[in-house]
Amino acid sequence: MPLPSDPATRPRRIPRRAGIGLRAPHYRRLLDELPDVGWLEVHSENYFGDGGQPLHYLERARAHYPLSLHGVGLSLGSAQPLDRGHLARLAALLRRFEPDLVSEHLSWGAVPGRHLNDLLPLPYTEEALAVTAAHVAEVQDALGRPILVENISSYLRFRHSTIGEAEFIAALAAQTGCGILLDVNNIHVSAANHGFDAAAYVEAIPVAAVREIHLAGFDRIGELLVDTHGTRVAPPVWALYRLALTRFGAVPTLIEWDTDLPELDVLLAEAATAERFMEAHRALAA
Amino acid sequence: MPSLPELQETFAAALLAPAPDGALPFVVADRIAPAERLAVYRHNVRHNFREALRAVYAVVDRLVGARFFDYAADRYTREHPSTSGDIHAFGARFADFLAAFAPAAGLPYLPDVARLEWAMHEVFHAAAPPPFPLERLAALPAAAHAALCFTPSPACRLLASRWPVHRLWALNQPGVAWDETFDLGAGGVTLLVRRSGFEVELEPLPGAEFALLDRLAGGQALAAALEAVGTSAPDFDLAAFLQRHLLTATLCDFSPG
Repeated sequence: MPLPSDPATRPRRIPRRAGIGLRAPHYRRLLDELPDVGWLEVHSENYFGDGGQPLHYLERARAHYPLSLHGVGLSLGSAQPLDRGHLARLAALLRRFEPDLVSEHLSWGAVPGRHLNDLLPLPYTEEALAVTAAHVAEVQDALGRPILVENISSYLRFRHSTIGEAEFIAALAAQTGCGILLDVNNIHVSAANHGFDAAAYVEAIPVAAVREIHLAGFDRIGELLVDTHGTRVAPPVWALYRLALTRFGAVPTLIEWDTDLPELDVLLAEAATAERFMEAHRALAA
Repeated sequence: MPSLPELQETFAAALLAPAPDGALPFVVADRIAPAERLAVYRHNVRHNFREALRAVYAVVDRLVGARFFDYAADRYTREHPSTSGDIHAFGARFADFLAAFAPAAGLPYLPDVARLEWAMHEVFHAAAPPPFPLERLAALPAAAHAALCFTPSPACRLLASRWPVHRLWALNQPGVAWDETFDLGAGGVTLLVRRSGFEVELEPLPGAEFALLDRLAGGQALAAALEAVGTSAPDFDLAAFLQRHLLTATLCDFSPG
């Protein structure tokens, strides 16, 4: 068993810098070279095992970098009750690794007896808002802290939606006290897929609630943009990011990459680009 | 207007069903048809489950080929749906599914290959065993040994097959050249699957050693297990057996029985 990284000397607060999503193929190089990157984010469920290599490497990385835990499986928007076992494992992971940020998605993935293990879109209705808000409150009670909720990319909308997505997530934050993880790439993808104005979406998000921004790459498949996390951040997404910096300030920003994972250097270069935009924003704001 | 539970049940069914008809009326129709929009989710969900199974069952995939694997994975996903938000928990029953899967009937060793790969997956993510409490054992009088019950390591699995699945597994690793002398009918194997550091290792065990370990891991007391296995054979060395499996923590704790 690796010794836990010393809680007294662990870096805690996520700085107003760029971070990267840490994936298994990059463990060794990251630990060998300890590059100057502001912070790390991992998928919570990748560390739900009882032991072995993944937890060992996360312990070692945690000794050097502030951490964010990003969940993909809690299914906050499902009509059925939350999975208490899943929540308990997440709580145990928080006690062990003391992340500065904890996030989940504004989506659903489970129905009774079956999990789809995907981030599926909600109908934006008062009913869905009540269900999701109750689940967010339950998670925050169980974890003893606020979480961040992230807007997803979507490829369809439901006809009976009565609320805009940005207004829905703003209401969720207002009702539960949760923060918002604003995925700028997801806004771009969904705006293109549904024909809404990405800038107006950004303007509808409450400034004080945004604690983290995500950036990633998308692909075009037929008529639709698909959030593949498999390419560099696209120019229109960088442009939208600059707009977001103007509205929300230089909040911690993550480079996410999950498919066709490149060398670590590519992620670090993307993070450096994000930091240049943060610097430029600070210079303008000063 | 569907309620949230109705919508989610209908949508979930449409993602895995041969035709998505039921969910289409709920989807906004504009310049892109609802079926085309839903197709993105149908593709993503199928793809994610196939790849989750392929990550665990890489040798099964190699043995049957990608198209056959995808077909089996889709059937498995419908018959044994994922029930956890943790995708790593998906696929536990794939070996049993393959054993009853008619298109795979010509590959009778396939379910045991899958059993081996699931055992390796579990061992990879298991807790490391604590060191065996040798001093506590040494403090017991010899008369107490017969009643001892042992606790197996969480990072060990025992697996018996009529087929040499450990060889089949090794020969199907990336970059390994096929061995022309390999004989699938050369006889079965009794295997200890264990973790050494962070690597999962396969160790063939002699039949008597495997049988005794299997009974001890199942909670049987030492004397009863020895009697059942019939290890009076002159080549079986109990002291060496215990020393090895206690020092390497295949058995990581005991109770006086």
